[in-house]
Amino acid sequence: MVIYKFTNWFREFGWRHLVGLIFVTISLYPILYVITNSFADFANLQNSKLIPDTFTTKHYESLTGDPLIPYFKWLFNTYKIAGIAGFLNVLLGTFAAYAFARLKFKGRRVGLITLVLVQMFPSFLAFVAIYLLFFQIGDVAPLIGLGTHIGLIMVYLGGSIGFNSWLIKGFMDTIPTSLDEAAKVDGATDFQIFYKIVAPLSRPIIVVLFVITFIGIYSDYILAAIFLKDANLYTVALGINIVFMDDFANEWGSIAAASVIAATPIAVLFIFFQKQITGGLTAGSIKG
Amino acid sequence: MKYSTFIRYFFLAIFNGFVIYLVPVTIAFESWFLLTIIIVISLLINLTYLTSRLKPLKWITPGMIFLLSFVVFPAAYSFYVSFTNWSTGHILTKQQAIERLEDLTYTKDDQKGVEFDLYILQDQDLDFYFLADLAPDNLLFGKAIDEEEYSQVNYATHEPSFKDLNGNISIPDKYYLLSGKEQIANSSKLQELSLLIDKNTRVQLYNISVFGASSGRLLSAQQKYSYNSETDILYDNVNNLACKLGNRGNFVCDGQIIDPGWRITVGTENYQRIVDDERFRGPLRIVTFWTFQFAFFAVFATFFVGLLLSVTLNKDSLKFQKIYRSIYILPYAIPGFISILVFKGLLNPDFGLVNEWFAPVYELFNIEPINWFRTKASSRAAVLLVNTWLGFPYMFLITTGALQSIPKELLEAAKVDGATSRQSFWKITFPLLLVSISPLLIGAFAFNFNNFTLIFLLTGGGPPIVGADVAVGYTDILISFTYDLAIAGGRGYQFGLAASVTTIIFLIVLLISAISFRYSKRLERVYGNL
Repeated sequence: MVIYKFTNWFREFGWRHLVGLIFVTISLYPILYVITNSFADFANLQNSKLIPDTFTTKHYESLTGDPLIPYFKWLFNTYKIAGIAGFLNVLLGTFAAYAFARLKFKGRRVGLITLVLVQMFPSFLAFVAIYLLFFQIGDVAPLIGLGTHIGLIMVYLGGSIGFNSWLIKGFMDTIPTSLDEAAKVDGATDFQIFYKIVAPLSRPIIVVLFVITFIGIYSDYILAAIFLKDANLYTVALGINIVFMDDFANEWGSIAAASVIAATPIAVLFIFFQKQITGGLTAGSIKG
Repeated sequence: MKYSTFIRYFFLAIFNGFVIYLVPVTIAFESWFLLTIIIVISLLINLTYLTSRLKPLKWITPGMIFLLSFVVFPAAYSFYVSFTNWSTGHILTKQQAIERLEDLTYTKDDQKGVEFDLYILQDQDLDFYFLADLAPDNLLFGKAIDEEEYSQVNYATHEPSFKDLNGNISIPDKYYLLSGKEQIANSSKLQELSLLIDKNTRVQLYNISVFGASSGRLLSAQQKYSYNSETDILYDNVNNLACKLGNRGNFVCDGQIIDPGWRITVGTENYQRIVDDERFRGPLRIVTFWTFQFAFFAVFATFFVGLLLSVTLNKDSLKFQKIYRSIYILPYAIPGFISILVFKGLLNPDFGLVNEWFAPVYELFNIEPINWFRTKASSRAAVLLVNTWLGFPYMFLITTGALQSIPKELLEAAKVDGATSRQSFWKITFPLLLVSISPLLIGAFAFNFNNFTLIFLLTGGGPPIVGADVAVGYTDILISFTYDLAIAGGRGYQFGLAASVTTIIFLIVLLISAISFRYSKRLERVYGNL
């Protein structure tokens, strides 16, 4: 009877838990591995295992103070670049979205369709041209040429502004126009309507798009790699993957510690906004 | 003044200040191309913000400038580059190349055979000084510097006081005169040093003598090439040759190509190379084929796992659903460049844990451990495995969403009609699911088609394809291949060729987008949103 009950339970639920648990293991294993290894007292990759015998914080300490591995500078650079580019991206995107959502003008449809079409092509596809363009700009204006953060930020700005404008515009369309009309009657200008009514009401989508853009730039490799050549200016993705690669197996502990520090805030941010991000992604992919 | 007006003028002033800074610089660099862009953009901006008629543009312009400059323009520019020979040796413009050539010098042995006494001195900082006794009344003294310091003009001075009344050398106390033996000990350093007399002439140590004074000689630097802009001919002053224009953006002297050359348009040469050159076409074919394979299997594998999990967990009254879901998000939440790094460690063929786990299996079947990343098959498998780990959560999320939106009545009606659960899955659930998520699958295909980060960071494209003309490997996809061609392959910069491969990528992405529009009727939705 007990056996019968169990097989019944297994058919109904048990196998689901089995499959579920197998993938829990697969999902968690690499994550746990890197976390434990960052605290593990092994010399290198060769001796690494999931649960170390002794724990230490020496790998975290090794990330500070070595001028050849300016890890926290990389981290700072990355937050700076992703923060500024993400902020300006949604700011300019919100401006454009406002025009498309609220102002009637010639070429509005064409403009919107162009936005969608342009964003089919990720900006990094033309990285050869971007490299050559900034190579030449660097001759004239070294402040924004190759090797500078400003140039990189400008490229990131172009990268997703069309996509963001489009999604913000879609959200603004759901805000009733009766609100702005009432304000207009009271003598509000377009700018006042924008920043007193439409922009504040669009905040949910703006915040989510800022987070998505921020995470996207934080994780970018190719554009940062063509721009940045000085190790002090690296983003964290570049720094970890270039500087530590010389001695991958022996640097394993430091790599693990660096990975944990770089990944944790992003993972927390992602999980916090997960519903909106995945909602936005699907909506975005379907709608363009 | 209104708040908005103030902000507008404030930013316009900053912008125009920037333009005023850039215009003279671009003129100085004779960069007419950039100058045109700057002028067009600044006219557009000033027109937009100083007139009251173009209201919508005021909102749109700032964002659009970045979109046009760094997304649209580079696409067009890369198409242009694909028709040039822009590559190592042809990086500069013609003007820049000529300037570079005219700056080159060659050293002429001035008075062959004429040697003179040279004394080598050192001060308290251990810097070296040369004292050259050129003629009885011509005693030159100065700091001896190496080639890197030539630009800090530090010419020799006449120092008659370094000789006493009898004509013997007498050195002031602050300097120390090196003996012949000491000179030999420092000879490698001393040979690199020169005493500059004027812009073109310098003194170098010629021969160290242990007993008497060492000897020096005069060398003079002469301009190696001079360019005549009227005849467009470059003269080689060393060999007295006239160098004419070659047809590849070079001067050619007596059959020799002069480096550096400059970039010129070469028509469809790069595209012809893609079609005709077997040593390039072969690898490109492998890469293109694998790019499609990778993108397809990447989507297939992540979709399979994601669907398996969403179907498994899509069961009412199943416990711990929330916990499962929140754990499956984790691989997606971690930045890709970190996860890839961890897998690089786990899969490491020598020390990695994956081979450690499989050791009993290898032993049982008596097979060699998998040499991850070192063979074609294992590298490709590794790329797909890691991608599945990275990507299944996304597929899990979207298939879960799609499953939950399928009306329950449909499935219940099928049950009433006697369909088994397998039948109702394949006949109802799965087709409906595909309809709603196929645009996302196409999107995922396009994403993986250009998944540079994964390939570049996990395998670097390797293992290398032997016999290829360019740096390329068996896991390279088109975009990482382009990257190696253009910048990182270690075989020079081949921008023109790389740009022509970029054009291929653009065409394929265009095709994918067209298909996606068709499938999802996406444009209709776009129109709906207008």
